[in-house]
Amino acid sequence: MDTERLEIARLYHRFGFGPRLGEFKAALAKGLSATKSDLLTPPSVDLGAAVVAEPNITNLGPRPAQKTKELIEFNIALRQQVRDLPIWWLDRMALSDHALTERMTWFWHGHWATAIGKINFAYPMYIQNQTLRKYALGNFGEMTSAMLNDGALQFWLDGGDNTVKAPNENLARELMELFLLGVNRYTESDVRELARALTGYQVERSSGKVTFNAKRYDSNPKTILGLSKNFDGPSAAAHLVSQRDNAKFISERIWFRFISSQSALPVNNYFEAAFSSREINEILLAATDSEVLGKPEYSIVKAPVEWFVGVVRFLNLTPSALKTPAQLLGYLDKMAQVPFDPPNVGGWPTDESWLSSASAQYRIQFAAWLIKQADLSALSNVAPNKRIAWLQDELGIFAFSNRTRLALESARSTPAQLLQLAICSPEYVVSA
Amino acid sequence: MDTLSRRKFLQLSGAAAVGAAAPLLTMEDIAHAAQTRPLPIGTPILIIVTLYGGNDGLNTVVPYTDPIYFSSRPDISYAADKVLKLDDQLGLNPAMTGIKSLWDQKRVAIVRGVGYPKPDHSHFTSMAIWQSGAPVSRLNSGWLGRWVESQVEDPMLAISLGSVLPPLLAGEKRSGSSLPLGGLVIPTGNLAKDCQMLAKATSTDNKLMATAATSMRTLFSVSSTVTPILKMPAPVADELPTANGGNAGGDSNLAQQLDVVAKLIAAGSPTRVWSVSLGGFDTHANEANAQAELLGTVSAALSRFASQMKNTTRGKDIVTMVYSEFGRRVKGNASQGTDHGTAGPVFLIGDRVKGGFYGDQPSLSKLVDGDLAVTSDFRDIYAAVLEDVLQTPGEKILTGWKTKGQYF
Repeated sequence: MDTERLEIARLYHRFGFGPRLGEFKAALAKGLSATKSDLLTPPSVDLGAAVVAEPNITNLGPRPAQKTKELIEFNIALRQQVRDLPIWWLDRMALSDHALTERMTWFWHGHWATAIGKINFAYPMYIQNQTLRKYALGNFGEMTSAMLNDGALQFWLDGGDNTVKAPNENLARELMELFLLGVNRYTESDVRELARALTGYQVERSSGKVTFNAKRYDSNPKTILGLSKNFDGPSAAAHLVSQRDNAKFISERIWFRFISSQSALPVNNYFEAAFSSREINEILLAATDSEVLGKPEYSIVKAPVEWFVGVVRFLNLTPSALKTPAQLLGYLDKMAQVPFDPPNVGGWPTDESWLSSASAQYRIQFAAWLIKQADLSALSNVAPNKRIAWLQDELGIFAFSNRTRLALESARSTPAQLLQLAICSPEYVVSA
Repeated sequence: MDTLSRRKFLQLSGAAAVGAAAPLLTMEDIAHAAQTRPLPIGTPILIIVTLYGGNDGLNTVVPYTDPIYFSSRPDISYAADKVLKLDDQLGLNPAMTGIKSLWDQKRVAIVRGVGYPKPDHSHFTSMAIWQSGAPVSRLNSGWLGRWVESQVEDPMLAISLGSVLPPLLAGEKRSGSSLPLGGLVIPTGNLAKDCQMLAKATSTDNKLMATAATSMRTLFSVSSTVTPILKMPAPVADELPTANGGNAGGDSNLAQQLDVVAKLIAAGSPTRVWSVSLGGFDTHANEANAQAELLGTVSAALSRFASQMKNTTRGKDIVTMVYSEFGRRVKGNASQGTDHGTAGPVFLIGDRVKGGFYGDQPSLSKLVDGDLAVTSDFRDIYAAVLEDVLQTPGEKILTGWKTKGQYF
């Protein structure tokens, strides 16, 4: 088995969004270690991402009163911003030269899953996205402190309502269960004590500005995970991040999203040690090690956004230039994955959830819609009897099965249909 | 968390944890089964309604005379003159007029204080416990999935609405089936032929690729000639206005799910268990309106469903069970909401049900760590449902649980 090809294919599809035209072949020629080192080293300037203009997303201020002219204008502006935001990010994913940064931002968005539906303003979500990108490959402790001051996250989990008079434990529970430690690694008492430590934050909804109001803060001592002191938000978060269980949990999440959702992180793994100083790029080194990336059993299904961005990178399409962006969001919605709108605080599902008959049907339609808008000359210029091999190398597929080859053979003289089948094939939908 | 629907929960819990892959049914399968081997009239049918997010039991069945109720949650309590009185202590949430009228007809049993030992406050863990039916041994299979496995193999036996299967119906080797709500659009012509080639099983596929191929295959087993069942009008509900009550903001399609169930039951589908759901009960903030809207949706959808079924030969056969993963904290929080709690009421609805209260109302003066004490074990209800509705001994399915409630 050609494990080098397997690993390079996985690097592209899991730690990026799939190869652009020519990239995979070039990577095969360059070899695994050079490919990995390119992937893990962000360029000083990302020229591709620089092409994407920052969206016109601004603080709209509080919602105007009912039945005013201002409210109508406000609603129009808000609707536009809510639509522009995901399209802007999809453009970045599609055009960025350093796909890993966007890929990790996407991972962290699913980790600190905040949905725009409840926030109901695009601006705080935009700010959160910038924070996630800033720390995407950085230090997890710093990311956690920044997220504690993130207006969208605070509002999403009712942080502004958590006061000394009546704690609201929504944020505290999810910090422990879903963001920092993992379920069953704390007690109910820890949740209640952490909620007290997190009192005092206030959020301005439209701007996402977080402030601290000492009057609402519970200044009495708290006991969290066995340590008693006068915790506040930052010190409690630092205490949680310093736990061994935090390294374990983040290792499990990276494993679950990048390596396998089917088999658990092995007890003996390099991840936890690599994360000892909470540096995210260090844990990515462990996650891209041949020990795990070279094992054929660890396959994973591409989530709809990952599949879509892979296809547009290959086809050299720009999401915002598709006709129309609203239809694009419609397709993603049918596939049940729109950026900034995760289903709940636990983020998106994995694997089989993306493989229902309904999603197969939508994927076929979505593929046709994209292909119709693309320039297929690169494929058309290849002799029909060489097209399947060409697609396998250009799409970065480990190997088409004989089953898929037969189906592709039958369509090889019609490039559009051939490509549609290739990107809907089990070998492309799943990262082998 | 804002909304938590069944689909979303499944996505999160990665239903991958469960054993057997779920057959995805097509309308053709069900229509064919309904025509060739309809469920014998008189066979009991179970409808499971799962409320995702943790429904606040105290504001569902309200202890409207208890001063502690009012002092614990002054912002979000319901006054005595607002509730729909069930007896001289308890009343239903004002939005639940449909269920109140079924109660008045003695067709509703309310089991109070339902939960399980050592309650867990995580949505995901608690729902997994309820759905597995095994709080102690924490099985990976669902209680009704194990029931499916105890029966002769039949993909029609237990069906969940929506494209993802809830863990509840997942067995170790065999599972219930799932039925997507909308119809599927099938490719045609050359593309169809090639897609079908692409959908063939091959020995080199790993598990996930095989699932991807299967998903495309199932798409093609739908035939346009038989979708008529879904296009048929649903059985008429003559007692109620056609508009249904509240709507949980676009995310709720409980009425739509029940409409499909009603059509398929009326058509004779040989299905003993149907699973439907509604999300959004995680009311940490601004609970009063949100919960009332959701309970209104549940109540209106269920009473409409009952009325639809009454006009068919199946009306007397249906038992509906409504539950949520936990109730909420007794004391309200600062955000006019409540945090995660423990025990809550379970509703059993139908002609076969002996209407009334079961189990003790948890005391508001004897809280456990701020939470209601569990006074009824959900396994008592599961055992009764298994034995009295599904006519199957419950002990083995419920890992040795021996007692059952007398609700039927």
